[in-house]
Amino acid sequence: MKWLVLSLALLAALLAAVTLGPAAVPAGQLFHSAIFWDLRLPRALLALLVGGSLGAAGASLQSLVRNPLADPFLLGLSGGAGLGAVLAIALHLGGAWTLPLAAFAGALLALGLVFRLGLVGGSALDPRVLLLGGVAVGAFCGAVTTAVVSLAEASALRNAYLWLWGGLSGASWDTVTLVAVYVPIPLVVLLAAARPLDLLTLGEEPARYLGTDVAVTRRRVYLAASLLTAAAVAVAGVIGFVGLIVPHLGRALFGGRHRALLPASFLAGGILLLLADTLARTAVAPRELPVGVVTALVGVPLFVLLLRRWTAA
Amino acid sequence: MRRCAQLLVLLALACRPAERGASAGDAPAERIVSLAPSLTELLFALGAGSQLVGRTVYCLYPPAARAVPSVGDGLNPSVEAIAARHPDLVLLYRSPQTETAARQLAALGIPTMLLRDDRMEDVARTARLLGHATGHPAAGDSIARVIDSLVTAPIPPPSARIAFVVWDAPPIVIGSGSYLDELVSMAGAENVFHDLHTPSATVSLETIASRDPDWIAILRDSSSAEPPAWAGRREWRTVRAVREGRFLILPAELFGQPSPRAPESVAFLARFLNHSSLPASQ
Amino acid sequence: MDRGLILDVRDASFRYPGAARDALAGVSLAVSAGEFVSLLGPNGSGKTTLVRLALGLHAPHAGSAAILGRTAGQWPRGALARAVGVVSQREDNLFPQRVHETVRLGRYPHLGPWARERDEDRAAVERALQRCDVAGLADRWLWTLSGGEYQRVRIARALAQEPQLLVLDEPTASLDLRHEMELFELVRSLVDGSGLAAVFVTHDVNLAARFADRLLLLAEGRVRAAGAPADVLRRDIVEGVFGWPLVVSSFDDRPQLTPLRRQP
Repeated sequence: MKWLVLSLALLAALLAAVTLGPAAVPAGQLFHSAIFWDLRLPRALLALLVGGSLGAAGASLQSLVRNPLADPFLLGLSGGAGLGAVLAIALHLGGAWTLPLAAFAGALLALGLVFRLGLVGGSALDPRVLLLGGVAVGAFCGAVTTAVVSLAEASALRNAYLWLWGGLSGASWDTVTLVAVYVPIPLVVLLAAARPLDLLTLGEEPARYLGTDVAVTRRRVYLAASLLTAAAVAVAGVIGFVGLIVPHLGRALFGGRHRALLPASFLAGGILLLLADTLARTAVAPRELPVGVVTALVGVPLFVLLLRRWTAA
Repeated sequence: MRRCAQLLVLLALACRPAERGASAGDAPAERIVSLAPSLTELLFALGAGSQLVGRTVYCLYPPAARAVPSVGDGLNPSVEAIAARHPDLVLLYRSPQTETAARQLAALGIPTMLLRDDRMEDVARTARLLGHATGHPAAGDSIARVIDSLVTAPIPPPSARIAFVVWDAPPIVIGSGSYLDELVSMAGAENVFHDLHTPSATVSLETIASRDPDWIAILRDSSSAEPPAWAGRREWRTVRAVREGRFLILPAELFGQPSPRAPESVAFLARFLNHSSLPASQ
Repeated sequence: MDRGLILDVRDASFRYPGAARDALAGVSLAVSAGEFVSLLGPNGSGKTTLVRLALGLHAPHAGSAAILGRTAGQWPRGALARAVGVVSQREDNLFPQRVHETVRLGRYPHLGPWARERDEDRAAVERALQRCDVAGLADRWLWTLSGGEYQRVRIARALAQEPQLLVLDEPTASLDLRHEMELFELVRSLVDGSGLAAVFVTHDVNLAARFADRLLLLAEGRVRAAGAPADVLRRDIVEGVFGWPLVVSSFDDRPQLTPLRRQP
């Protein structure tokens, strides 16, 4: 029943995303217009994939680092992506795919650094080390980025920040196809780790006694969730709040079992980002808001509602 | 009537006491540091190039400017580097950071002028001010007159619709707050984003597509006539002008900042638009 | 191998890396089906270390530890979780959970990553809830339960694993008298009724003496005494181990310790 409602909400959000926009396209002509096929539809699908990735990554990471306030970008990935993008622009690297590839590479670098930090002391990715390491790596990348921006000469650099916070304006069928092929792999890894994640929420020792390989589970979940986030930030920049809020929405509706929570978070994340992007495109038309701003504006009241529900219960 | 009002406003502005921070000195400045490319260019146009002792890294026009030592960034000025040139006048583009720098320079006893030249009438006023400050009042008035006549000349009816695209991801266009918008209308074209009152703004691709400009204007440093890299992307090809390759490639040197060569810029645009029966990009 | 011998630790010695002396030295512990064994000893005597070693988490540098005939360290994780149910000292629930949700987790060792829960799993959960007398609390949130109820729920989860051995590490640590009695009674009834073996680590010497079949008294990593309560809780032994003057009395045919007050 709940799944039905969620699926219907998804369809409604998709419909809104492809019919609403600054360009007035009459309903009858929708399927004939290039705006629908080449602009709105790929953008809507990308919003779904990116929002879903962030939702699923957020849910699994919150359980992994044992922190209900964890966001996929807490692990330094956005800092790495920003650094990659800024370096690409500062070095005047051309090419249509340069920015997303450079951002992805930067995110992977940050991922590797934090992973390496997490293995320090032989601990199997101690959650606290992951969190602290992520914050440190993110701050470091941010500092280097600022230094590059202040020293380098490219006037395009100030636009790099806009790109990083820009969102889904660069959506194309190419990106959608790429992401659609890429995303299922880490998602499947996360789903396979659903039961171990349930057990990990009890604590490391009880999980172990219930048959979990804690080290392997942590590594897999960390890598899969980070790869999802890296792809998301490479194609859509930093979009905050989705990975933080959506898992809580999912838990409120579907409970804490990851078998249901992960798919629910994926769907809810897609819906949230679809709605936020539609709003970003239409609220101040013809201008466009950065979608990260809208997710925060929409996300915070939602979060407050959730908090009240939690404390009232 | 509207023209008279404009003239009055211009004169009133010109008669204002010189911009904040300037010294009341009668002696022309002999060691000037300019912290904005447009002001550097203006100084050379006034014939005051030999009085320039410091410029920013971005001040590259005219070529003679490159011989002048650089003091770094103009928007985030290094007061030390400026003071090291022992200037008797520092010209800054007015902004919150430069106001701070101006105060620091004033504390060192160095006179400053904070100028804003975003639009064409600003160029005229600035030309007069700097003409007096550098001892070339005639040149200043002459330039100002040329600009004034440009500004007050009747605007030709628009024969084409243009969108200025500054960046592709996210799409950023020029609005009516920018001098580029002025140049475009003086040349007999219409900026499709004239309704946006800021110098630049992020818009949806579909807005550009639905407003269907005849030409997409871009600024470029090099002299290459290639369409921009993003022109090949499928989502950009929903814009008719991109599909048909109707790109107006403007040299950044001439169009990159408000300049006394504005009449040249307008003529360039007008010439292009008059030949705009040519379908492809140049 | 004895029929029914579930846990067999023989002369095991273990030292933590970098430690000056052994945490366990020459410790033996054998538990058979239907036996309730209690581990006693002062803080730091090695009780929890022994539990971990018995479960294969630590490898002894001398001696052996075997569960159901196989070396503890060689048990595959899932299989071990189907044989041994552990109620550890600490548990830290990250998100709010209901009782039936947490007891269900006990069935995970019987399920692969993709398998769905079967009727037999639901039945096992139901049985475990009934057995621990928490079936009526099934829909309650864990954080609304009292300490005693919460511990019974945790035992239910361990039971849902359908183990042969139940290991409880200081489960009555913060419980009041009634809940503590209820818990001991529960474990006793599980051992008697289902043929489970139980290893019960506790500081409550007197209750252990009354409920357990055998006691194992540890001090500084060595076994001070093992066997029937009457043989273990002798004044000369326990005074030395606990470092406090005691009198040993009897209740229910079981020895009871009473510590003496300091002389002014």
